[in-house]
Amino acid sequence: MTLVQFRHLENAAPGEAETEPTVLVIAATRGDLAAFEALYRRFAPRIYALCLRLTGQAEAAEDCTQESFLAAWRALSRFEHRSRFSTWLQRIAIRTALARRRGLRTLFEVAEPAGGLPDQADPGSGAPPVDLERAIARLPDGARHVLVLVGIYGYSHAEAAAELKVAEGTCKAQFHRARGLLGAALGLETP
Amino acid sequence: MNATDREPPGPDSLDRQLAALPRDLEPPLLLWQGIQSNIQRAQRRSRPLGIAAAAACVLLGSGITWMVLRGHDGSASAPSAVALRTPGINETLSPRYIATRAALESTFRERLALLDPDTRTQIEASLAVIQKAHEDIRRALAAEPGNPVLEQLFESTWHDEIDLYDRVVRTTQPTLARI
Repeated sequence: MTLVQFRHLENAAPGEAETEPTVLVIAATRGDLAAFEALYRRFAPRIYALCLRLTGQAEAAEDCTQESFLAAWRALSRFEHRSRFSTWLQRIAIRTALARRRGLRTLFEVAEPAGGLPDQADPGSGAPPVDLERAIARLPDGARHVLVLVGIYGYSHAEAAAELKVAEGTCKAQFHRARGLLGAALGLETP
Repeated sequence: MNATDREPPGPDSLDRQLAALPRDLEPPLLLWQGIQSNIQRAQRRSRPLGIAAAAACVLLGSGITWMVLRGHDGSASAPSAVALRTPGINETLSPRYIATRAALESTFRERLALLDPDTRTQIEASLAVIQKAHEDIRRALAAEPGNPVLEQLFESTWHDEIDLYDRVVRTTQPTLARI
């Protein structure tokens, strides 16, 4: 089947943006690269945005997106259709982003400051006023990860905690902290 | 997601601003090219091994069949490709099946010529073993018409040959041609 035919299949149900791409997934599982490309075209914007916000860096996000789709291609035969394909793919992206972050820490021996994570987001002295995306990118890792999943992508604290492998209480505390740091960076008052 | 577990919106606009951020962002245009080339590179690395492994499986299976037959029949005369297509065998098959098989074999020959010499030699050796086993079984069946074990073995080697053709044709299918 050609990519054009797959795109036709993909658009077979107009108005149903969340239609599960079962046909594409099955075809891709059988090794059809055109089907996998159709899946990429459909889901890459979500995965790239997620990676960009989790890593806070465009270059890292590109690598993370590539690694996520390559990991998905290799793992397709193990996808059991028990969850939505998009959920499965996002989980891979989250793990890839976190693993990448851990890898960078190991590689460059980036140690936590003696007093733990900084109390404030890097203000970038003399830098122009930050917008929301930039302020998010400057949050400490833990706070940013929670804020991205809960605040932007609608994960519950329980779901975010499971994905990030932290306690739910930690997740809530990080979210509260992230909001405080963001509010300060943007000159907003947060409760 | 569990909506009841979400943080309630604050009095300020921060939560609304967060929720209003686009969930999707267009990645750089060339990102797919990197993914595609990575996949294709991996496929190219594994393809000869896959074909060789498939051929080795067929070789093993056919070798066992051949050994079983030798023990049963005792005759091991050299087979010929022409003998495999004796009217006695083909008469039971539909012309469409025979034509399809011929087309598959033709494509197989074309693709085989494109493979590296080692892989090609291994596949040709496998095919020779299959064809020899097939011919031996045919002779044994001539001596013992209706023997169910021999009939099953005869059918098995026929399918082994077709499977080998099909496997080589499918594995050497150029990926880009399907896009």
